[in-house]
Amino acid sequence: MHTRPASAIVKIAAKYKSGFTISRDDYEVNGKSIIGVMTLAAEKGAVLTLKFDGPDEEEFSDEIVNFFNRGFDEI
Amino acid sequence: MADRFKNLKQIKKNSITVDFFFDETKERFKLKKITPSPIDIDLLIKEKDTHRPGLALAGYVDLFSYSRVQIFGNTEMKYLNQLSVKARCDALKKYFSFNVPCVIVTNNNKPPAELIKYAAKSNIPVFKTAHQTTRFISLIHDFLDDQFSSQVLIHGSFVDVYGVGLLFCGESGIGKSEVALDLIERGHRLVADDVVFVMKKAENILIGSSSKVSQHLMEIRGMGIIDIRRIFGVRSIRYQKRVEVVVELEKWSGHKNYERTGINTKHTDIMGVETELINLPIFPGKNITVIAEVIALNYLCKHYGYDAAKEFQQRLNQLIKKKTENADSDKNLNFERSIEWFEHDFE
Repeated sequence: MHTRPASAIVKIAAKYKSGFTISRDDYEVNGKSIIGVMTLAAEKGAVLTLKFDGPDEEEFSDEIVNFFNRGFDEI
Repeated sequence: MADRFKNLKQIKKNSITVDFFFDETKERFKLKKITPSPIDIDLLIKEKDTHRPGLALAGYVDLFSYSRVQIFGNTEMKYLNQLSVKARCDALKKYFSFNVPCVIVTNNNKPPAELIKYAAKSNIPVFKTAHQTTRFISLIHDFLDDQFSSQVLIHGSFVDVYGVGLLFCGESGIGKSEVALDLIERGHRLVADDVVFVMKKAENILIGSSSKVSQHLMEIRGMGIIDIRRIFGVRSIRYQKRVEVVVELEKWSGHKNYERTGINTKHTDIMGVETELINLPIFPGKNITVIAEVIALNYLCKHYGYDAAKEFQQRLNQLIKKKTENADSDKNLNFERSIEWFEHDFE
């Protein structure tokens, strides 16, 4: 996951109140921080775990999961 | 939020390869490989302790810590050299039948040919170092302790302020990076922003550093990613720093009780290490940067034995004692001015 999708993710995340973390293996970063998300350096096929926690967690996770499923809106 | 760090996942290596160990340390430890074949990449070091195998060489192998890095000092060498060839072969054959990760001969001693022979047969690498045994053991323990230490990733900004490691935490967008940037501009040094690796060294020391990819990068909302080292130069950064105070930034809430005297120092637990915690409410017009500098300076004062809150308490106690001792003395003792009389101060 390079700069563009990472920045799109944190932009979506910034709209919500809930906490959001992304983890890969043992490493967990804050999903609202661009540097955090980029630090994961997730390549195609990497397995990531997303955690949402807070008042708007459902809409939040829906939007993020959708964004992942759409392939980060890339062609 | 005294235990905000309680649920962080601890990352810990279970093993390192001997190959990695050799690569990382050969220069610092003056290591030379003396077995001919390349190191088997599956060979692992799984323990942070080392072992001096004197007794195992002598034949007593109950409780032999064979899975540790094996260190042959002068004693082991002398013992092996005084054995007959036959006895030496038997001892080493038995010794290398255990799965030892590697053998390190200190003091530049020349190991007997049989040692190399049986080590090579079992595919166990033997290294040589010029360091003396005790010196070498302290070096290698430092390295292995570091490799096998627990660490956590913390979302925050970590800055060295007057030599005190301040870790700023708080929710996204509260302004951690902006405070860090302001501090850097005033001559303090950034260790990591957004992703802080904190490792536990020995029993009670926390060391923070950044991740490799994001080292000395910072995101400023509305601007994007900036490179602190490029912009402010080498004096504005550090690679690592001990974590001394956690500063939790939060939106000011009238309902919350904030510390007013400083007599009770709050702590938070990071991997079992008690670390000073300051909850800092923020609101417009409050200069967090200056407060951060004062937090660091006050920490230094306390570290060097002066605690303003305690000093104030002591003065009060003395005053109250004085008043109770002479009941008929001036009741307004506590409203005494700090200076009894002023000289003229004309301008």
